[in-house]
Amino acid sequence: MKGVNRAQASWMKGERLFATALVAPGVIALLVTTTAPLVYLLWTSLHAANLSMPWVKGFVGLDHYVHMLGDGRFWDSLRLTAIYTVTTVVLQVLIGLGLALLVLQIPHGQWLFRLVAILPIVLAPVVVGLFWRTLMLSPSFGLFDIFTTQVFGRSYNWLGDPTLALISVILIHTWQWTAFAFLVLLAGLASIAPDLYEAARIDRAGAFARFRYITLPLIRPAIMIVIIMRAVVALSAFAAIYAATGGGPGTATQILNLYAYQTSFVALDFGYGSAQAVALLILTLAVSAALFRLRRPKGWA
Amino acid sequence: MTGRGLRRRLAKALITACATAILAVWAFPIFWAFVVALKSESEVLAFPPSLVFTPTLRNFIDTLVGRFSILPEMGTSLVISLVATLLTITIAVPASYAFARLRLPAGKLLGFYVLATQMLPPVGLVIPYFLILNSVGLLDTYQGMIVVYLTFSLPFAIWLMVSFMEDVPREMEEAAAIDRASRLKTLWYVILPQVRGGIAVTVVFVFLNCWDEFLFAVQLSGNRVRPVTVAMYNFVSVEQTLWAKLSAAALIAMVPMMAIGFAAQRHIVKGLTVGAVKGGGRR
Repeated sequence: MKGVNRAQASWMKGERLFATALVAPGVIALLVTTTAPLVYLLWTSLHAANLSMPWVKGFVGLDHYVHMLGDGRFWDSLRLTAIYTVTTVVLQVLIGLGLALLVLQIPHGQWLFRLVAILPIVLAPVVVGLFWRTLMLSPSFGLFDIFTTQVFGRSYNWLGDPTLALISVILIHTWQWTAFAFLVLLAGLASIAPDLYEAARIDRAGAFARFRYITLPLIRPAIMIVIIMRAVVALSAFAAIYAATGGGPGTATQILNLYAYQTSFVALDFGYGSAQAVALLILTLAVSAALFRLRRPKGWA
Repeated sequence: MTGRGLRRRLAKALITACATAILAVWAFPIFWAFVVALKSESEVLAFPPSLVFTPTLRNFIDTLVGRFSILPEMGTSLVISLVATLLTITIAVPASYAFARLRLPAGKLLGFYVLATQMLPPVGLVIPYFLILNSVGLLDTYQGMIVVYLTFSLPFAIWLMVSFMEDVPREMEEAAAIDRASRLKTLWYVILPQVRGGIAVTVVFVFLNCWDEFLFAVQLSGNRVRPVTVAMYNFVSVEQTLWAKLSAAALIAMVPMMAIGFAAQRHIVKGLTVGAVKGGGRR
């Protein structure tokens, strides 16, 4: 008995060693390529590192963070980040879920929807931003503008007016990424056993009751995953906004991510830019942690 | 009876119409880019937009081999994306097996660490990388770009591969253990053939993410090493109104991505959904 235990123990010890050896390259690579730069980011955020004033050097403690709290543009970029993230995620989930429910009712040709949905997903966001900036939203020659001048008799400055520009970048993001929500939710819906609906139909449950009490609880985990993944991406959205508006007009579409970029690489204040990036990092981790907590239905362990 | 049948048929038609309208919204900008790419530059700016025109391949020729050729930048993107993908897969596949199947000391903590690294905002990395690569003279080099691309492809690939590893039936390893196959041999001869499809999907996703990346590319590369996404951007900022050429160039750069997306279509849906359908069983 003892001998067996010892053999088992040595087998398990071997397994642990083997597992550690397999994971080690990955974990070391991540420590070196992600965690070390982050530590350096943190270090930079506590120092004066402004390339336009290279003679000012040294440790400044939390000065950048204190400055950030009093910086109106920071709070404004935070407000834009909140608007951008919430609206794009909500739109993606609502339209994605709605379309998935519609497509499931179609007897033939569902494959076509699955196929076309891949198109926006594989496009580079910078290309999407450029397409919309030129072909779709550009004044006079963009399709949107041609449409509105023909139908409503007036031209809108889609990317030049602060409010319209914000709406535009939200729509651009939603256009590209709703396909992701659609595909994930369609697969989730398709995996719900049809007998559940049969049983409900026998119990004379209406369409809304079936959706509310069968579909929604069962699709909830998939919805939560979509929300988490899309929120993290929206918080760090860059290329499409950069290409479409560059954060403008003025700072009308400058979400925190773009503000941190602008502070670092345009104003060359790497110290303050790093502090803003740290703020975005904390925000992202806090949002994803909160969403992960919400993931389990209430009453579950 | 006929009234109800008619109503149902009407509802079906309405549903199909709604769904098709959304489909059109997705496909249209890409279709329109294709139309514009076939026009001459002066025709692009004609008002109202001409629907009947003599299509020309001039823009495709110019952006492929002519004055505006983007082939060099596509080559750059290809090298960076291929090497980064290869490195990623080599590191991620063994790690994912350990995470999914083996008793790993502090496995939960390490799994959480990998997940956390996937959520890092890229701007938090591009700032330190710019300073670091600048001080070691690796800005605008292949080595620098490849290392930077590991930061997002590695956590993603580990995470995705874990879900494929979990699908391998446990009996396979047990049978191999009874046959006294070494652990390494089990991984190589028993597990890897089972997850070939998963590896292919991971390769597609990682390659795609590298090819489409912009923030690192625009800030950490330059004149020597310029990925195709930066070339696209420069196209508009330098050549303000050459929309037809921009469209042609963008399509040339993106059509390969669409092709691998279509080719891996069934798997791509699985790749996106594998975590979600299982109720997000990730740590």
